[in-house]
Amino acid sequence: MAQTAERVVGTEVRRKEDPELITGQARYSDDLAAPGMLWMKLVLSPFAHARITSVDVSPALQVPGVVAAFGGRDLAGEWAGPLPTAWPVTDDLKNPPMYPLATDEVRFQGEGVAVVLAESRAAAEDGAEAVVAEYDPLPVVLDMEEALKDGADLVHADLGTNASYTWTLTNGDVDAVFATAPVVVKERYVVQRQIPAAMEPRALLAEYAPAMGEYTLTTSTQIPHIVRVVLAAFVLGIPESKLRVRAPNVGGGFGSKIRVSPEESLALVLARRTGRPVKWTGDRSSDVLTTHHARDQIQEIELAADEDGRIRGYRTRLIANMGAYLLLVGPGVPLLGAFLFCGPYGGEAYHFECTGVFTNTTPTDAYRGAGRPEATYAIERAIDALARRVGRDPVEIRRMNFLPESDGPIPSPGGLTVDSGHYNGTLDKALELVGYEELRAEQRARRERGDAKQIGIGFSTYIEMCGLAPSRVLGSLKYAAGGWDAARIRVLPTGKVTAFVGVSPHGQGHATTFSQILSDDLGIPVDDIEVVHGDTALAPLGMDTYGSRSLSVGGVAVHRAADRIVEKARKIAAHELEVSEDDLEYVRGRFSVKGAPDRARTIPEVAFSAWTAHNLPEGVEPELDASAVYDPENFVYPYGAHICAVEVDTETGQVDVLRYAAVDDVGTIINPQIVDGQVAGGVIQGIAEALFEEAVYDENGDLLTSSLTNYEVPAASDVPSIRIDKTVTPSTTNELGVKGVGETGTIASPPAVINAVVDALSHLGVTEMARPATPERVWRAIQQAKGGAA
Amino acid sequence: MEVLRPATLAEALEARSARPEAFPIAGGTDVMVAVNFDRLRPEAFLDLSRLDELRGWHEEDGEVVLGAGLTFARIERELASLPALAQAARSVGSPQIRARGTIGGNLATASPAGDALPALAAYEADVVLGSAARGERRVSLREFLLGPKRTSLEPDELVLAVRFRSPHGPGSFSKVGTRNAMVIAVASLCLQLDEDARAVRVAMGSVGPTVLRATEAEAFAARALAEAGAFDAAAAPVPAATLREFGQLAGAAARPIDDVRGTAAYRRHAVEVLARRALSWALEGRPAGRRAAG
Repeated sequence: MAQTAERVVGTEVRRKEDPELITGQARYSDDLAAPGMLWMKLVLSPFAHARITSVDVSPALQVPGVVAAFGGRDLAGEWAGPLPTAWPVTDDLKNPPMYPLATDEVRFQGEGVAVVLAESRAAAEDGAEAVVAEYDPLPVVLDMEEALKDGADLVHADLGTNASYTWTLTNGDVDAVFATAPVVVKERYVVQRQIPAAMEPRALLAEYAPAMGEYTLTTSTQIPHIVRVVLAAFVLGIPESKLRVRAPNVGGGFGSKIRVSPEESLALVLARRTGRPVKWTGDRSSDVLTTHHARDQIQEIELAADEDGRIRGYRTRLIANMGAYLLLVGPGVPLLGAFLFCGPYGGEAYHFECTGVFTNTTPTDAYRGAGRPEATYAIERAIDALARRVGRDPVEIRRMNFLPESDGPIPSPGGLTVDSGHYNGTLDKALELVGYEELRAEQRARRERGDAKQIGIGFSTYIEMCGLAPSRVLGSLKYAAGGWDAARIRVLPTGKVTAFVGVSPHGQGHATTFSQILSDDLGIPVDDIEVVHGDTALAPLGMDTYGSRSLSVGGVAVHRAADRIVEKARKIAAHELEVSEDDLEYVRGRFSVKGAPDRARTIPEVAFSAWTAHNLPEGVEPELDASAVYDPENFVYPYGAHICAVEVDTETGQVDVLRYAAVDDVGTIINPQIVDGQVAGGVIQGIAEALFEEAVYDENGDLLTSSLTNYEVPAASDVPSIRIDKTVTPSTTNELGVKGVGETGTIASPPAVINAVVDALSHLGVTEMARPATPERVWRAIQQAKGGAA
Repeated sequence: MEVLRPATLAEALEARSARPEAFPIAGGTDVMVAVNFDRLRPEAFLDLSRLDELRGWHEEDGEVVLGAGLTFARIERELASLPALAQAARSVGSPQIRARGTIGGNLATASPAGDALPALAAYEADVVLGSAARGERRVSLREFLLGPKRTSLEPDELVLAVRFRSPHGPGSFSKVGTRNAMVIAVASLCLQLDEDARAVRVAMGSVGPTVLRATEAEAFAARALAEAGAFDAAAAPVPAATLREFGQLAGAAARPIDDVRGTAAYRRHAVEVLARRALSWALEGRPAGRRAAG
């Protein structure tokens, strides 16, 4: 039996997305224009906390080109409700309303107070500058621990507290384990605030067709489907059917475009009020203030262990900074890490609690990894602390605590059912890849010589949960939506394929990956497959892209829809070949009669028959078209071992990443090049998080790191030699065996880097290291260990 | 906003004199950042980027003359014979920024963190200024740089060039920053050995209101090197204690402040380390040089 084509799953098919991206022909939201469109500009609060005493937009109306201007109160009647949070994690969660523009009080620097519409971008900018807003400053709340004390100044006076919620999880008899364990290690870590800095700032174009009452929003978003339902139902109060949301090419998101934004809300309302399209493009200066921030946790983690270092219990207390308001999934972000403070390690008891706290800062929400990088940071640093306490090597302590190796599901202390995993396998491979023995030898030599530049080796043997998510689990966590996704496959009469998918890529390469799956399923060349996404009118069903879900949920839906195509095609082929369906053998796009392989029908042939419909079997409808909606039964659990080698200048404190090895197990790999790109990008982002990215406010709540000059995202020169390899343990959650790879790099890498810095200085007595490990912080840690004042 | 675009230096000086409110702009790598942050809203710009007269460099009367419009990319490529300046140029921004940014801009902006300034200070450079009314004048860098973002440039003047005697001896530029590159220095330092004058020159950036010379450290090093015979014999050993003391004197000359990029205490410490290492490299870097104790 001849195969119709070589399998393409698992091969490095060139990304279909790239030609338009690298030739500059891709169209982003900012490339779009509509006849008669107006430019929108928001006036942002310079104060972190203040009462708005007046907003006078009349000077703006004098600026040539300005068409309209509104303060928050002018538009207060437009909103069906505040911008909602979709994840009220507890019944008693405090969720103060945030509207697209503030009316009485501003609670973070960058909160909008007025909006200007003009004929040009320049006129809108000038108009916004002309608006006179007056404020009466209020006390500013910045420190999370201070904010939770009695008598603290309040971000929201009417709540009577700065605490939004406390969420807890307990498995096993935690108190008993901690009372009896001979070793308890207690650590405190601060995971600093990050500014997700997608290359393309947020941007949008809003259009309104008055005769039909129809709105179209083209927006740089990760979540067109969620934006549609939330904006229509909760913010604008219009029928969902009247709002079409499109995500064109989107230049990166990393979670920062999981948002139902003030700008989207305002633009739609103002398009209706003015009868003209409204365009807005954020600039970097406003983006750093108004696009959500991330991370920002204070962590206390305790490990209870036997004397030999075998872990028996975990206890974690978090304070998580929500910023001034709860955004779409902000309160739930720490919960995405709640089950992972035990890493891939065993134990019998587990406790987690998290308090979300309000401060006068930009609200926080999801950022690549969302909760899981924070959890991984805590456990991977704490297990090193345990290793130091019991006098074990960091490799040894990990090996002795790994969960049982298994091809099938295994329960974890955090209460998860891990789909599969061979943790020693990734660790062994990473040790070899990084050249561990050679690095340790070099470390010894430098220590003996007393060199100014010392070497350190850091580990992170992480596990994560992604593929968000089983809808029933989301329900139990009080998330307001499901976690399924959908695909519709249409085989066109000519044998070409269009796949409509509900996930919404912004750089990942879904079109290529899904084409590879479909090519193998249907025997159609990759180039003959088009993937349509990011448009609620064309692909009406979907839950969008975040949480490494696109392949492990959306891709499975694609595969299942393809199965249904084959199922229907088999009926037609059997009819035409005048055999029973059971007599047909199907291999990649070709049905052949068992024992008579020359009698065959291909999928394109069947598609044509299904279209002409001249001779279809009884009860079979025309067209070769099928849909599937897939709701996963479980998460998927990528894992791996990352090892980082750094050189630390003990005199200046400068850290250089010498070498980095990432060995991940992300299950079945569809496109190795795309997977490696995800790993490398994530690792670089995580190294930056460990070494230099930090959002800093001054005591007035002014964001000091308000440009890319002093908020330091990684540059090309910061990218070290990254050695990437894999093991493949298929997931048991889905039939493709895929696990998701979008976030592994940022989840794994920060503790590997910081553990390496600590390791480089351990002979000097350094055990603590704040992050980001800037030269000054490293130098201070050395001084402190020496017992001198820095 | 109006943009004046003179085609020749003479036209530019006329325009400067007639329209002193027009803000001079060359590469724009500092100016446009200030405009973006709303710190600068001039009524007009005077675009200097078309002036061929300012673009190049040459040697004249035993001096190197760098036109104000010379870009960092060209310094990096063409002036390897001035290693400290070339290293400083290489550490400015990204390749794109270096292709636009000019040495004249670094001078006129007068940032304490201006990357080229320590090298120019260590070369004891003079700045050439010009006006339509009074012609050219030449001032020392110290007279030109008055403080953070303050210079002695008159409202009708433009920076035309910077000139200095090419030093005989090794030199280096080093800086401490968070990222590997494209970062504003927390502390920077240029050390230049002048073997003809038997002098050591040290200039520091980001640790004071403007670039600072560490004169006591310089005098100490010159004495110590002379005593050790290091100016005459490249192999003459210089004791480690001397290097350390030199570093401490350089640190003592710093006048740093605390800001978002670093504390004063760390900056002082960082220039100590940079100074010690720079002297050590300079001693090693000479022909037949030997490793100095670090």
